[in-house]
Amino acid sequence: MCGILALLGCSDDSQAKRVRVLELSRRLKHRGPDWSGLYQHGDCYLAHQRLAIIDPASGDQPLFNEDKTIAVTVNGEIYNHEELRQRLTNHKFRTGSDCDVIAHLYEEYGENFVDMLDGIFSFVLLDTHDNSFIAARDAIGVTSLYIGWGLDGSVWISSELKGLNDDCEHFETFPPGHLYSSKLGGFRRWYNPPWFSEDIPSTPYDPLALRHAFENAVIKRLMTDVPFGVLLSGGLDSSLVASITARYLAGTKAARQWGAQLHSFCVGLEGSPDLKSAKEVADYLGTVHHEFHFTVQDGIDAIEDVIYHIETYDVTTIRASTPMFLMSRKIKSLGVKMVISGEGSDEIFGGYLYFHKAPNKEEFHQETCRKIKALHQYDCLRANKSTSAWGLEARVPFLDKEFINVAMAIDPEWKMIKPDQGHIEKWVLRRAFDDEERPYLPKHILYRQKEQFSDGVGYSWIDGLKAHAAEHVTNKMMQNAAHIFPHNTPTTEEAYYYRMIFERFFPQNSARLSVPGGASVACSTAKAVEWDAAWSNNLDPSGRAALGVHLSAYDLQPPTTGAANMPSKIIHTLQGINEVTTAQELSIRS
Amino acid sequence: MCGILAVFGCIDNSQAKRSRIIELSRRLRHRGPDWSGLHCHEDCYLAHQRLAIVDPTSGDQPLYNEDKTIIVTVNGEIYNHKALREKLKSHQFHTGSDCEVIAHLYEEYGENFVDMLDGMFSFVLLDTRDKSFIAARDAIGITPLYMGWGLDGSIWFASEMKALSDDCERFMSLLPGHIYSSKQGALRRWYNPPWFSEQIPSAPYDPVTLRQAFEKAVLKRLMTDVPFGVLLSGGLDSSLVAAVASRHLAGSEVACQWGSQLHTFCIGLKGSPDLKAAKEVADYLGTRHHEFYFTVQEGIDALEEVIYHIETYDVTTVRASTPMFLMSRKIKSLGVKMVLSGEGSDEIFGGYLYFHKAPNKEEFHQETCRKIKALHLYDCLRANKSTSAWGVEARVPFLDKEFINVAMSIDPEWKMIRPDLGRIEKWVLRNAFDDDQDPYLPKHILYRQKEQFSDGVGYSWIDGLKDHANKQVTDAMLMNASFVYPENTPTTKEAYYYRTIFEKFFPKNAARSTVPGGPSVACSTAKAVEWDAAWSNNLDPSGRAALGVHVAAYEEAVDVEPANLMNGAHPMQKGF
Repeated sequence: MCGILALLGCSDDSQAKRVRVLELSRRLKHRGPDWSGLYQHGDCYLAHQRLAIIDPASGDQPLFNEDKTIAVTVNGEIYNHEELRQRLTNHKFRTGSDCDVIAHLYEEYGENFVDMLDGIFSFVLLDTHDNSFIAARDAIGVTSLYIGWGLDGSVWISSELKGLNDDCEHFETFPPGHLYSSKLGGFRRWYNPPWFSEDIPSTPYDPLALRHAFENAVIKRLMTDVPFGVLLSGGLDSSLVASITARYLAGTKAARQWGAQLHSFCVGLEGSPDLKSAKEVADYLGTVHHEFHFTVQDGIDAIEDVIYHIETYDVTTIRASTPMFLMSRKIKSLGVKMVISGEGSDEIFGGYLYFHKAPNKEEFHQETCRKIKALHQYDCLRANKSTSAWGLEARVPFLDKEFINVAMAIDPEWKMIKPDQGHIEKWVLRRAFDDEERPYLPKHILYRQKEQFSDGVGYSWIDGLKAHAAEHVTNKMMQNAAHIFPHNTPTTEEAYYYRMIFERFFPQNSARLSVPGGASVACSTAKAVEWDAAWSNNLDPSGRAALGVHLSAYDLQPPTTGAANMPSKIIHTLQGINEVTTAQELSIRS
Repeated sequence: MCGILAVFGCIDNSQAKRSRIIELSRRLRHRGPDWSGLHCHEDCYLAHQRLAIVDPTSGDQPLYNEDKTIIVTVNGEIYNHKALREKLKSHQFHTGSDCEVIAHLYEEYGENFVDMLDGMFSFVLLDTRDKSFIAARDAIGITPLYMGWGLDGSIWFASEMKALSDDCERFMSLLPGHIYSSKQGALRRWYNPPWFSEQIPSAPYDPVTLRQAFEKAVLKRLMTDVPFGVLLSGGLDSSLVAAVASRHLAGSEVACQWGSQLHTFCIGLKGSPDLKAAKEVADYLGTRHHEFYFTVQEGIDALEEVIYHIETYDVTTVRASTPMFLMSRKIKSLGVKMVLSGEGSDEIFGGYLYFHKAPNKEEFHQETCRKIKALHLYDCLRANKSTSAWGVEARVPFLDKEFINVAMSIDPEWKMIRPDLGRIEKWVLRNAFDDDQDPYLPKHILYRQKEQFSDGVGYSWIDGLKDHANKQVTDAMLMNASFVYPENTPTTKEAYYYRTIFEKFFPKNAARSTVPGGPSVACSTAKAVEWDAAWSNNLDPSGRAALGVHVAAYEEAVDVEPANLMNGAHPMQKGF
């Protein structure tokens, strides 16, 4: 990742303003520790903090077209840049950077080229011919982006909120899949895939098509000139990513530069379930596996820093971001600059536990659509900002545009969870990679659920957080919560604690409005809370209780390998880190 | 480098205090991006931000003795840690970290072990048995260390001023070669080498001894578990470091891990003299050479950040730190965590141009002593903080304790600049590496001076800075300078400009007192200004004019032969 900051039309080209822009841009330095650049044209400033992944030697930004009349500052990776360059044969490129195509595409196609880009990106482009500009964000919002407005009539665009919150009168999240055009004076959605309408698709499930689409998504993300690895929790999604990467690494340019053995990384409290599962997968795949251990105290000590970086007070996001944040620092210290990660699968396939209660395929499908549309506020935000805090880039193959199209075209009947037919959550994905001849993963891993009640990183992590929050938030504080925080009122001590920290760093009203709230159970949208009448009485972000699980069971020992035979009704905790029910003997042959 | 922060006796062990310490420690995170640690014992806090160079996997800090009654937070490298471990056979070590010996040495020898450490270091040690603590800084002050006092009676130590300036009522730079002991409640100098008294030594010059001492100094600095390189400006000092490192790399442990081809780095404005000179040396040595370019605008845009990091408003230090700061970012982005650098040679051997005017060997020698003692305020500060800003560690073999002892015991008669005998500046060093059989460097490099009037990184850098400052600082501002800044009053617009930036980041009285001032010519001490009556009339930190060089010559072509020894070459170049 890189960090971008643009200030457009501030009617001030003084040295003081330049210094201010430099200062604000430095707040994004963690995203791009390798170099920085600032381009100033009159009262327009484009700043960039670079993490060099492609063409480290020459790709410093901002980037320009041939005659330097068009300047672009980009945070992102354009996976199809070589193909796009082919189409732009009459253009001269100054660098080998994948982002160099953007200026030239604009020259060639005007404002309508964004959908041609395959990748993750946020960029601001300034056309000095008429001082117009455009800004755009990738389809799903894998990269972060904010937009703000100053009292002086200026428009601000920044990778993170901290780059603009002190200087804007109002700011908000830049909507994913959108383009802001100064000529239009507003937003326009450039991302219009078939699934966006939430109509129910009818394509029959083709396991091989799904498999190939995902393999392609992983392979194109191996484009790198620097050392990389995969985040491996040992769950289905990250294990598939690791398996495919390990399989296709050998033929790539990355392997020639950095060796064909894949590095995998896992974080947890000592003895945690994730560490154990990930080790098993790593052993099977033969990766160079790195385990990082943290203590509850390490995590608590990092909370302020985590909230400063991820810019949210959403409880599950903070819980899950902290271990990822700690791990990213360790990964970076090993010289690794990029990791591939498994976010998005639970949204696309309905992997969350509450999907068990989906009343019909229509509701199921629409909920997956809503979840994908909200990803930029939750898992994309977490994955991007937790890693970027340490100059590490996370790539998420499940959110490949092509793959989403394929996966979201499947008749949702196939995605429905049907214990009677042996269809556990994400069955369509599991089965697509069930290859007898050349197994991607051992069957028991491909079909296993996470250990029961797992917090993944360790059983005491969330309890530790709650206990810590309870020590610092009094009953009186909770009583007055609705008066102090009328918007998105925290309902637990933990939420209150995070909120206090957030408000300290980001006191503006716009900031608190940028974080989602509302009713939710076990990471559902507000709409899905209607699926079960009982839920509305017991909203808890982790949803342990709401989903009908006996709370005291949380104190039990983690089940041993016999977990595969747990009754299918048992449902448990944390956001997307879990799968349920029994292992099945299912396979396809390719 | 790492970043350390310690607070003792703050009458507060609340969560709020813990959060505050963590927040302050984060201000040092650039020094140690790899991991952080905090140990809290009642009202005592020891925090650490780690740059992992030796034993990356297990050496997280703070470090402990066996029963965890003694806690240490260290920024440094202990080159003789293996030898020391041998002496501590009865002790059990938890990690492979070179710094762990400190806790065990304390157990064994009490507070009197510091001189046994060979390396660069700043550390704070807490003995929980009686809640006493000590803090110490290496001999020359290669690593920075500040000490402060809170209104609540607390005592603070931090690698950089920014970690304690907001919370201390008063603070200062902890003197190099000193130890603070809470039991004594005072500072004591532990570093007592023969040269410190400034008496004139009489050992005859032995080129081979000097050479071997320097080779050993370089060799012991190749101890690392991570990729490293050499800062190569193409001047004598950095070229010697590169030559010796590349010669000994093949046989070292680190070559097995990271390959035996040495990486060298140089920065400059495009077409600058340093780039050219360094390239020539790199080609000769066969190193893997990396050139970085910057523009004057990039340098100017970085100034605020540079001053925030290096914590000084000294003009020559700011000028020289900026390119080094920019280069360090690029070096780090290549995955390199440690570099060897050539600082200290000009101080030890009298390499600055004003030494031409030294009236006699006594004055010459005493000035070198003063210069070495002041290094921690200038070049050590620059080298350490410019690199640490990006998590790069700079090691400086010229400031090896043993090497200094050898070099400073030479009869200074040999160091005197004697054009009549063909002895140019630093002749004793050049001659020591003049090996016809197995040359370290080609003769013309070994004996060349820097290009005339060179700013090293490029002719327009300093002019660009001055122009920029002239635009920002009005005549009226400069006229009132002595009222606005009664202490160390800036006398040029450039100095005024840096000062305003410094004051913005570090507004306290104590902060400005950590920066040295006083009359100087071409980096001389105040004392040496007396060497030439003309100087006192024209003080300028770069000393071009003061040294009798025709200022107009600066405008002339680059490749003027350095015939005139009294040229205005500025000492900033020696850094890289």
